[in-house]
Amino acid sequence: MDNPISYVFSCLFVLLAHAAMLVNVFINGSYSSFSDALLLAGAVLILDMAYFIAMLFFRQSSHTIDFMLILILNMSVIFQSCFGGVHFAAKHYITAIAALFACRGGYLLCRNHKWIQQQRKYFYIAIAVLILAILTLTGSRSMWIHIGSATIQPSEFIKPLFVLACATTISEQQKKHKVLCFNVVYENTALFGLIMVICLLQWWCRDLGSLPTFVGIYISGFMLRICYPKAKLSKKSFIIAGILLAVTALLAMKFAPDYAKERLHSDIWNDRDGTGYQQSRALIAIADGGWFGKGPGKGGLCNVFAHDNDIVFATICEEWGLLYGLMMICVLLIMIAIPLINPPRSYFHGTMAAGICAAFTVQMALNIFGSCNMIPFTGVTIPFISAGGSSMIVSGFMIGMLCATQSPYFSAPAAGKRNRLPAGRRQKI
Amino acid sequence: MNSIKRCQRIMSLFIVLFIAGMIALVVKIQRESSFYMMNSEKRILGMVYDRSGNVLFDGTLEEGDTSKYGYNYFVDVGNIIGDDKGQMDNTLVAQNLESLNNYSFSDGVVQEGGQAAIYTTLDHKANRAVYDAFAGNDGCAVAYNYKNGEILICTSLPSLDVTNGYEDIDQFRNATLMCKALYGTVPGSTQKVSTVISAMEIMGVDKLYAKSYNCSGQYTNQSGDVIDCHELYGHGTLNIQQAVEKSCNPFFAQLIEDEDLPFNQLKKMYQQLGYTLNGDEKTYIDIDGIRCETASTTIVNPHEFRTQWGCIGQGDTLVSPMQLMMWQSAIANGTGKVTLPHLIDKITNIHGKVTETAHTLHTEQLFSRRTANAVKQILTTNGANNYSYQIYGYELGVKSGTAQVDEGKKENSLLVGFVDDSKFPIAFCVVLEDKDSTYLKPEYITQVMLDSLHADLIG
Repeated sequence: MDNPISYVFSCLFVLLAHAAMLVNVFINGSYSSFSDALLLAGAVLILDMAYFIAMLFFRQSSHTIDFMLILILNMSVIFQSCFGGVHFAAKHYITAIAALFACRGGYLLCRNHKWIQQQRKYFYIAIAVLILAILTLTGSRSMWIHIGSATIQPSEFIKPLFVLACATTISEQQKKHKVLCFNVVYENTALFGLIMVICLLQWWCRDLGSLPTFVGIYISGFMLRICYPKAKLSKKSFIIAGILLAVTALLAMKFAPDYAKERLHSDIWNDRDGTGYQQSRALIAIADGGWFGKGPGKGGLCNVFAHDNDIVFATICEEWGLLYGLMMICVLLIMIAIPLINPPRSYFHGTMAAGICAAFTVQMALNIFGSCNMIPFTGVTIPFISAGGSSMIVSGFMIGMLCATQSPYFSAPAAGKRNRLPAGRRQKI
Repeated sequence: MNSIKRCQRIMSLFIVLFIAGMIALVVKIQRESSFYMMNSEKRILGMVYDRSGNVLFDGTLEEGDTSKYGYNYFVDVGNIIGDDKGQMDNTLVAQNLESLNNYSFSDGVVQEGGQAAIYTTLDHKANRAVYDAFAGNDGCAVAYNYKNGEILICTSLPSLDVTNGYEDIDQFRNATLMCKALYGTVPGSTQKVSTVISAMEIMGVDKLYAKSYNCSGQYTNQSGDVIDCHELYGHGTLNIQQAVEKSCNPFFAQLIEDEDLPFNQLKKMYQQLGYTLNGDEKTYIDIDGIRCETASTTIVNPHEFRTQWGCIGQGDTLVSPMQLMMWQSAIANGTGKVTLPHLIDKITNIHGKVTETAHTLHTEQLFSRRTANAVKQILTTNGANNYSYQIYGYELGVKSGTAQVDEGKKENSLLVGFVDDSKFPIAFCVVLEDKDSTYLKPEYITQVMLDSLHADLIG
């Protein structure tokens, strides 16, 4: 560790942030038993400490994202534990731990850009397997696989694989092949085919919620392709791409299923007890919470379906206040914006960071703006905040990929030697 | 390094778009939070006051609590002030719930001591006096200051005291839950004011004054239909002043047919005055969120009975008493511009701070000043000659009307006019329904109305 003081202060900052939230829970919270709050506090602080210690075993250029991750994860555990009265949300806590492990997995998998780019065929295979799983195992046109009392959403796992597919094929831009009179890049065609398959799959499964996330990832990848060095970048390309996107959007709206069209035109206040039930209750809850909230566990939105995932932003705002809700979003944004301050050091890692940024921002926008009636309501999650194991693990994995952009690995380690840090870089936290 | 910057730019684009969306969301929540809370079950409403601070609506009252105010205390304003129970939609409270909401995003719902209130321009005492003057008969009365647009009287019978609740709603008489001043009614001969204005604008004042037509008790128009006069033996030859005073139907039927009154111009003039013609989609005048129907009539052919009957104010012509009163303001002011009426004087927030105040607004020029002054002269002459002994103490410009309703089974009596006094600038319209069922006359109600207002405003 190059800078132990910085590391310690970062640990203290995270601990203080969580402690402040827990103090709020103790003072303003609604709990039937003090031991419930105590259990929550103990679990959160123990996880913090354990993660700080575990981090010491991973030699990285920067631990900033790790600190942001543990900060947001335990914030999420506290939020989820307070919905409808303070209790310890054990399931969410376990999925948070799983997300931390997934993060490590993502980091270890992606930090060596040369190695991972050689494995890109496996991503396509994995995506194909997942699509087959959706088509065969989920039952009648659904996105969920039910295993006993647990449910898995395979489409969530396609997200990081799709980001990786976009990023690992970026270097193939130079390899153009003459097909008839066209210059074709095979990888681009494959990627386009992949997004089309995903779109069809989402449409077939009548679950268009995640579709914008995939389109967001594809757009970030596509833009980086047309901006690729030596690519013939022109205003014409952008205009054509824009027109194609607009036409696709119009066609999508025309051929969207009836329930999706209904959401485009529904007036939630005229149909408060029908299609607008969740959104109208969410907006009332935000208004009721005001700037500083009603207090942890004192909200009423917990009685509304999907209060802990689809409309979780409103549930948090009601209990903790809009300011806290915005702070939570700031933490998430800072986490995904770290590569703007500490730039990735390869185009692969840059493309990957852009894809993750697109996925996270689109997903947050869909959830928050959808539940607040700014855009049609979809059932997507806010990464790390919403309840849901698949989403949590996948988000953790993608943050691990983002960590890899901060601490890349450029050459294979010699036998018996530890991983080398990039030359000339000091450790940052 | 440039390639990394490109990645960063793409990331920045997504983040900036998201942040822009979040800013829009915060602004939206800030602006609309009061509306959201109005749709919740936790709302605490404030008060509505009259111009003297008397309560017209108390949002803190429990449903069915009649002990705090006297019996039927709110009955004279029941269907114009309304309440938040959802039974009446077109009322001041229903249309301004957000302003009455004792809630702010910073303070939340204020359970006690919130000062969100609407201060209206109504005079509760005078309104009550007018309500009582109807003596249980159906009808409505509306009066406002034609200089500044403040509505002082607006009562409609039958009415209700909202604190009594709606348990007996099945027993309510027809139109209890609507303020009749806002809805179209057959105007009778008060419509002739619009016809006179239109004719003056098209022909010119001097030419109209020079016109005279003969009334022999009835007039057979060019289509062969007969327009009857209420004077069985006719009025003889009349000019416009005499025709207005006598309210002579044959005179106006002949005026409509006159070649000096081109029909297309007449239609345009009616539209300019605010009529929707021949079944066109209805429009509304907005009075602090309350919708007031605009006038409508059918005029298709100047030689046809239906058109002439419409211009006389019968048939399917409908004008709201509010709009009849508003036209009087354009005449009384001598400008040809209608002073737009308003009910809300000011609105205060939960801290008692004034957030909105009323401003006097006028329509664009509906007709010329010359026409306004000429019509004013006709109406004040009519007032002096025919009404000064019935409504004394005021210099009035007046036009009465008798409207046939229910296919001629009943007749309503109307009186529209204004007080020609710059210190007491009141325009009014009184409608007394089924006039033959009562000894009462709209002149009496007008007298009570003006006396009550004069006592309160001038002292």
